[in-house]
Amino acid sequence: MDDPRALEHLLVSRMVRFNATVQGVVTGLVLGLIVFVATIWLVIKGGPVVGPHLSLLGQYFIGYRVTVLGSLVGFAWGFVVGFGLGFFVTATYNWLTDLRHRSTPRA
Amino acid sequence: MRNVVIIGGGPAGLTAARELTKFGDRPTVLEKNPHVGGLSCTLEYKGYHFDMGGHRFFTKVDEVNKIWQEVLGGEFLRRPRMSRIFYNNRFFHYPLKPLNALMGLGIFQAVLVVLSYLRWQIWPHKQEDTFEQWVTNRFGHRLFSIFFKTYTEKVWGIPCSELRAEWAAQRIKGLSLKTVLLTMFLKPQKTIKTLIEEFDYPRLGPGMMWQAVAGEVEEKGGRVRLGEDVVRICRTGSRIDSVVVAREGREETLPATDFISSMPVSELILKLSPPPPEPVLEAARRLTYRDFLTVCLIVGKRDLFPDNWIYVHSTQVRVGRIQNFANWSPDMVPDPSKSSLGLEYFCTEGDALWNTPDARLLELAARELETIGLATRADVQDGCVFRVPKAYPVYDASYAEYMVTVRGFVDGLENLQTIGRNGLHRYNNQDHAMLTGLLAVRNLVLGEHNDLWSVNTEAEYHEEITEKALTPALEEYFPRIDRLALAGATGAAGGLALFLATILLVLKGGAVVGPTLGLLGQYFPGYTVSPSGAVLGLLYGFVAGGALGWTFGLLRNTVLLLYVAIIRRRVELGLLRRFLEFV
Repeated sequence: MDDPRALEHLLVSRMVRFNATVQGVVTGLVLGLIVFVATIWLVIKGGPVVGPHLSLLGQYFIGYRVTVLGSLVGFAWGFVVGFGLGFFVTATYNWLTDLRHRSTPRA
Repeated sequence: MRNVVIIGGGPAGLTAARELTKFGDRPTVLEKNPHVGGLSCTLEYKGYHFDMGGHRFFTKVDEVNKIWQEVLGGEFLRRPRMSRIFYNNRFFHYPLKPLNALMGLGIFQAVLVVLSYLRWQIWPHKQEDTFEQWVTNRFGHRLFSIFFKTYTEKVWGIPCSELRAEWAAQRIKGLSLKTVLLTMFLKPQKTIKTLIEEFDYPRLGPGMMWQAVAGEVEEKGGRVRLGEDVVRICRTGSRIDSVVVAREGREETLPATDFISSMPVSELILKLSPPPPEPVLEAARRLTYRDFLTVCLIVGKRDLFPDNWIYVHSTQVRVGRIQNFANWSPDMVPDPSKSSLGLEYFCTEGDALWNTPDARLLELAARELETIGLATRADVQDGCVFRVPKAYPVYDASYAEYMVTVRGFVDGLENLQTIGRNGLHRYNNQDHAMLTGLLAVRNLVLGEHNDLWSVNTEAEYHEEITEKALTPALEEYFPRIDRLALAGATGAAGGLALFLATILLVLKGGAVVGPTLGLLGQYFPGYTVSPSGAVLGLLYGFVAGGALGWTFGLLRNTVLLLYVAIIRRRVELGLLRRFLEFV
């Protein structure tokens, strides 16, 4: 990086790697919050039948319902699934990038 | 016991001397002029003070700023800054303001400027070897001709097409993308704004600073000997033993253990005894300098113009820059009903202009002042001429090659360090010259290994150090995303997610299996919530997820590059607007 043009070179030649754990946590939090807010929103709105479509998530998220308690369960499930997704995508990305750019030194 | 002789009583030499006294040393400073300050001096004529070149006190180097404040503190004035360009009988704001520049040029010229800009954007010079090519590629040839060409050529005395990229590269080093990004991280915008609008200035000019520093050095036991010209530097092999100084025809030998020199490095080489090998001597002889003379005029009117200084681009006059000293500091002018101006003519020592008698130079300056329209000849009441030799080291086509030879020899002299603008033959400003003095002392006293040749104009030495810490972070954030790898990862995730979602419902069973998930069949032909549908879903999920990841990667990389390009462009524009300060 002593060459002042090195960063230009870096921009066109170097591939970014991500931290899988960090990406997992971030994705988990985002997904957890989405499920939580979506659930709580429908609960507050109320109505004769609350959240018939969203409650289908219960097919996958054991214990999940469109209720206040369900929103917390949904957050936990959302976090777990999001973390798994984020971690998996990032780890796979890093692995594939390493495979494709074996000669490029890591940052 | 360490005994240090410092050759040169300018900012670099005196800063080194001051620093040495902090370590208990009593250095001897040898200055050939009858005054201190070197290129950053204030000269006096009938009570009027003249700053040779105009020195704003602004620095990004904290240590230098600290010295300034310690030495002068309350004697600094915070001055508003105003400067303009005189071209084609009009004044243009400087730093350039695009609208003001275009309006001042007139509609026809403005259209030509825009057309020229477009032409060079579409068909730029394929190589940017020269200053002319560099500016033209960014601003078009017409704008280059108006605002950069004439002044640059007045200063350097050679065509811009011959000003090598090396010169441009050093002056515009701040434009490397890395520096631009560092600028974003390290320098608050407020600093840049302040630099443009106001600056600090000693009440009686820059010489005041150096007189004060010389006083400090002498108070602490050092000596500052004025009017003493070093005529010979005696060495034994790679060690300097002594210097011989001449004063009023008498010579005196001053032995020392260590030497620091800010005298022009070419002179230093030529004064060595015994002389170095012929190739080194020849290289030293080939290093050249640009000089200037200031015609100082006392004008019988106050408030001639509001600028601190004016750049004169017009070719109808020879003057390059005009200083209005009352606007630098009112204390520079003892009679408040008058003004004192400094008309700067760039030349080369020994050329016709340099050798012109003072009386004729005064006449020329008064005439040109009238031509520009700032005052009439009758308003000029008195004046004098000061000549400043070796003001600018010239970066011509072959200087770098000669410098390798010179530097190679100088670096081999074990108890000598060269500092300052001319000592290093680098176009350093006052603050960087001071920094070389500081670092030389640290090399000497603390055994540090600071590379003085690396301290230059725009690359902040200290920021370079910080930069090392920041580089890994930049490397982390700015590389591209590998689109295919991301597509593979998101594709795998998408495929697996759909496969698992489908198979889970199939395993759970029921009267109607996955009616909602089955709606995906609207988009994925053939997909059903069934074992075979799960496999098909794996494929569809892979393709859709992959497409999403690839698109995200493409957009992210594009936006990143655009972002970086925009920042670069903005900084280029900003620097070019005030480019004349670097000329």
